[in-house]
Amino acid sequence: MRNPPEPESFRLVIPSQTRYLNLVTGMAKRASMVAGMDDATSAKISIAVDEAVTNVIVHAYSGEADHLVEIELRFLPQALEVHILHQGRPIRENEVVLPDPREYVKHPRKGGLGLLLMSRFMDEIRYLETGGGSECYMIKRVV
Amino acid sequence: MADLLIQVHEVDGVVVLRPEGFINAHTVRQFEAALEAQVLAGRYTILLDCRLLNYISSAGLGAIMGLIETVRENGGDIMLCQLQKNVHEIFDTLGFTELYRVFATEEEALKSLNGAI
Repeated sequence: MRNPPEPESFRLVIPSQTRYLNLVTGMAKRASMVAGMDDATSAKISIAVDEAVTNVIVHAYSGEADHLVEIELRFLPQALEVHILHQGRPIRENEVVLPDPREYVKHPRKGGLGLLLMSRFMDEIRYLETGGGSECYMIKRVV
Repeated sequence: MADLLIQVHEVDGVVVLRPEGFINAHTVRQFEAALEAQVLAGRYTILLDCRLLNYISSAGLGAIMGLIETVRENGGDIMLCQLQKNVHEIFDTLGFTELYRVFATEEEALKSLNGAI
């Protein structure tokens, strides 16, 4: 039997359909617990993954159901890395504008909340363009 | 089991919606339709009993946000009760606990409205 990959990781590839979100978030939550996160942190990671995958399905792929989204989870000694890869429209870091929650409460509107939740619940988020597509990279460190 | 079930009942003129399961981009239209049905029927005081809600993403929060002005302009409100810890954390993180009235129990929420409906 071959040795496990370094760092240990696994991948899930789903069609670009929201019906699979529950499957992805359930996996992310359980993987977070395997990585050593507590219940509350695992729940936050699963929310961040939901939001990131939803962004890919709804925005990068414009809701088209016949594409693929790849979710890779890497278990580092003191952190969990989440890589969400796709071939849709890239999300560029300079396009990401986080709403100010205080202003949001004063002037309610739709939109932007998902990015805000991701930024609050993860330690680092980056948007990368790779040779074969685009990637949302998130990391959560074990405290 | 379905990702989301929504029970609806009325108590003393207050519509109580009890979502069970997950509100995300897949189920949000069902949740939004349940809220909109109440508003279209002229029922503007809505209590979301979240005791069975395991999870809500920004899509669900947007659905609530999209109706809050309408119900308040008509003298009503959208209130929340019995939020599970992780759901409360989402609302709190975004400052929504300042925007919406949040109660520990359905009874407390209904009591706060005594005489106001």
